[in-house]
Amino acid sequence: MSGATVPETPAAEPIIRLDGVSRWYGSVVAVSDVSFDIRPGITGLLGPNGAGKSTLLRMMNGLAATSTGTITMFGEPVRDNPPLYRRIGVMAEHETVYDFMTGREFVLMMARLRTVARPAEAADRAIELVDLADAQHRRMGTYSRGMRQRMRLAATLVHEPEVLMLDEPLNGADPRQRVHFQQLLHRLAESGTTVVLSSHILEEVEQLAETVLLIVNGKLAASGGFRAIRAALDQRPYHVRVVSDAPRRLAAAVVGLDSVEAVTLDPDGAIVILSRNVRDLQIELPRLAQASRIGLRRVEPLDDSLESVFGYLVER
Amino acid sequence: MTSIYLLTLRQLSGRWRLLIIALVSALPPLIALMTLYSSSALSVDDFETVVLGTLMAGAAAPLVVLAIAAAALGNEVEDRTLANLTLSPVPRSQIVTAKLLASITVAGPFIAASAFLTAWIAFLGDPTAALAVTVAAIVGVALYAAAFLWLGLVSGYAIGIGLLYIVLWEGFLAGFVSGVRLLSIRHYSIAVMHALDPRRFAAGPHVAPWAAAVISTLIFGGFVLLAVRRLRRMDVP
Repeated sequence: MSGATVPETPAAEPIIRLDGVSRWYGSVVAVSDVSFDIRPGITGLLGPNGAGKSTLLRMMNGLAATSTGTITMFGEPVRDNPPLYRRIGVMAEHETVYDFMTGREFVLMMARLRTVARPAEAADRAIELVDLADAQHRRMGTYSRGMRQRMRLAATLVHEPEVLMLDEPLNGADPRQRVHFQQLLHRLAESGTTVVLSSHILEEVEQLAETVLLIVNGKLAASGGFRAIRAALDQRPYHVRVVSDAPRRLAAAVVGLDSVEAVTLDPDGAIVILSRNVRDLQIELPRLAQASRIGLRRVEPLDDSLESVFGYLVER
Repeated sequence: MTSIYLLTLRQLSGRWRLLIIALVSALPPLIALMTLYSSSALSVDDFETVVLGTLMAGAAAPLVVLAIAAAALGNEVEDRTLANLTLSPVPRSQIVTAKLLASITVAGPFIAASAFLTAWIAFLGDPTAALAVTVAAIVGVALYAAAFLWLGLVSGYAIGIGLLYIVLWEGFLAGFVSGVRLLSIRHYSIAVMHALDPRRFAAGPHVAPWAAAVISTLIFGGFVLLAVRRLRRMDVP
């Protein structure tokens, strides 16, 4: 497995296996030599926008081909394998509905396409599951984004797939829908469904996924339980810029703190602190400033974007 | 397959689309009527060349089928709804077959009615000639549908490319270069007409019926296979 691997508990047999998977478009490498296994439960693909999560998901469900490497699900190749799609439910990031259809017609059609034994009953169950029974006879063109998302989820679940793949599933959902969605996914995972979802929002994945695969620049940066990933993220060095009314005195004082690795003085009078323990620094810095009678005007992280956080893990 | 067929019928039956193809389909019988009552009436040969060969088989039929068949899979690619079908446990050949049948179902009646009326008016109610022209038109619809269905799948500019093909290949080159007729759907259609009513349509250069039958079958099957192959190998958006 490429990238940093954090310890994970041994689990069941892998449902999905990626082995040396790469994908490039011309000279652009979208996914680079990625290998991992996905086991039952909820797995989150986490990474900034453009990291390659959607491409990976699309290769995992067979919509896109790999340039090199192999992907198998239940031991079978996923690409061009229609019988396997009876066992998979996929909800893409973009909206893939037919506006002229009612919600019920859409879910019913998807049930029939997936050869569900009693399509009407299955459609009823799926629509009930996403709490849209009242709106099921309205044309989908009249739905709000959140409603379309939920009806798409109903269509994805209508054949009770063993593997569920969701690309940025919470986009457009309001807080109540998010909670409902999270509960639903947990219920599905408890009943044995393998769920793979992608997101660029750390907290979203934290609340949903038991296992996290960090994808950055098309590479697997880290994988494992969320706590271990979070700990790895917290250990990265942070640059914090501090504007004060006595920068030289402050620089001299903070050098003595355990949480500080280095201090530089900016030409504009601010100091930049390098810290590997930003939580302690958050507590110690105000105390130190107060004790030294130094006024702090501004304290700001210089590299707290998701990209820089993930970038650190790739560079390690 | 029925679900995909019914879905496609609904997709292709938009009010504006049907209105436009109805107008295009109405042109040949209207021109036949005008010709009939015109002081300078065309001979049977001229009528066959201008109205049936050029206007019906070379313009109205391909234009109507282009508007329908290119959209059958092309719009699914553009709207990103194709994944709903390709992620279902349905063989790719069935997806293509359902889309093709739906395209023919929508375009066929317009062109068949147009062809029948045109011939009926022009040949003063001769049922054999009207039937020959209608069957020839339906053969043309099937062939154009297979070709344009594939085109809609491989290119986002299917309508533009299709128009160029209709004007340059079917309209211009196939009319002047005899060798090109062997690769012209319009001329296969005309050949069917000649074969079904040799009494009425005996004159003029045309592709031999046996050659038209063999090449038409190959072209129809070839484009269906190409579409299935494309659907299996493409990255579905």
